[in-house]
Amino acid sequence: METTATAFYIGPFGITSIVITTWGIMLGLGVFCWLATRNLSLEPGPMQTLLEGIISASEAAIQIVLPEHARELLPFITTLWIYLVIANLTGLIPLLHSPTGNLSVTAGLALLVFLSVHWFGIYHNGIRHYLKHYLSPTPLLLPFHVISEATRTIALAVRLFGNIMSLELVALLVLIVAGLLVPIPLLMLHIIEALVQAYIFGMLALIYVAGAMQSQYSKKENDNE
Amino acid sequence: MDFDWTTFTLEVINFLILIWILKRFLYQPVLNIIDKRRADIDQAMADAKRIEAEAVSLKKQNEQYLIEWENQKEAAHAQLAAELAEIRKKKLAELNQKFDEETDRRRILEERRRIEYEKKIEEKAIAQGTKFVSRLLSRLATPELETHLFALLLEDLANLDEADKRVISEAVTDHATSILVQSAFPLTDTQKQTLSSVLCEPYQTGFSIDFQCNDTLLAGFQITVGPWVLHANLRDELKFFSQPLQHEK
Repeated sequence: METTATAFYIGPFGITSIVITTWGIMLGLGVFCWLATRNLSLEPGPMQTLLEGIISASEAAIQIVLPEHARELLPFITTLWIYLVIANLTGLIPLLHSPTGNLSVTAGLALLVFLSVHWFGIYHNGIRHYLKHYLSPTPLLLPFHVISEATRTIALAVRLFGNIMSLELVALLVLIVAGLLVPIPLLMLHIIEALVQAYIFGMLALIYVAGAMQSQYSKKENDNE
Repeated sequence: MDFDWTTFTLEVINFLILIWILKRFLYQPVLNIIDKRRADIDQAMADAKRIEAEAVSLKKQNEQYLIEWENQKEAAHAQLAAELAEIRKKKLAELNQKFDEETDRRRILEERRRIEYEKKIEEKAIAQGTKFVSRLLSRLATPELETHLFALLLEDLANLDEADKRVISEAVTDHATSILVQSAFPLTDTQKQTLSSVLCEPYQTGFSIDFQCNDTLLAGFQITVGPWVLHANLRDELKFFSQPLQHEK
């Protein structure tokens, strides 16, 4: 399965079909959102109701974890969910592959989650207080904290990549071995798996960010006491 | 499982751009409209609570007004009842006074009617009695009775007091009037001569005497000398008898 075939080059950089698919998703989402939010009103129609429902549900999910920073985290987390759902389901379209079936893509998203955790932690608490929690409860645990940060980021990338790639691979193998219509149940499983994996990835990112911020809250409370 | 750094880098950049796109064209407009709706809802809720508070306040105020109004109504009702009782008492007193006056007036009127009725009855009884007696005496009026009454006439003429004699004298001399002697039965010549002599003797003068019969006298005589009249008959006696009875009433 060749998923990183270079479509064309921009200078020394080879643009793969995965990147083109991602651009397509971005373009589609951008146009759709622009068209859907041009004429918003206080008395919503069906499309506005759908959009408000999606965003309200996302905001409510974030509020459960971080009640005071839901609006701040909403763009990042909700974009993760929306992009991952669409990217995961793109594999169902013939001749297209899910971008999330590529380790480069999931690694990039995991890197963004990793950076976001530290960004929000430092932004809200200061670098000193944020780095302090790596030394708590004892400096001896610093290596374990560092290893934890690295492994959970790698796990985040590999989990999503492995699940989506394996679904596509299994469907391809069943299609080759059994025939044209046999992989349909697997494709239905693909839909469920795509939704679940998107939710897991976004929720884990939210928990990681919230964990960083809340650990600092505890630290601050301890300092105040 | 190959890894491409270019794809990795572009994917990071693409995702950051996607965040910006969605934030610009999806999150901000939708969140703004949601916030606006929430603000409107909050405003409506605040207005509703304020209106509810005002309604509660007005309700309490209205209840207070109702209580005050009820008290005022009861006080006015009591005052009205007292005034009505006073007016009723006054009117009742006036009515009792009028009733008493009307009762007195009716009593007086009834008493007067009764008296008049009794008077009428008595007059009727007297008239009937007089009629009865006159009828009875008319049956008893005989020449013998006339003779006895003639004797009584002579006796009365003989016993006239000085005032009567002076009146008769003045009537005879001043007016040159003749003497009218009415009798129920015709007088005999003897009786006429006797009566003429009795009448003329005291005055030493002669004058004419006119003798007439008048059966309405029942029995007896009536002598008229000018304004002086001597009643010596049953009719006039009965009249004299009945008049005092009427005058007594």
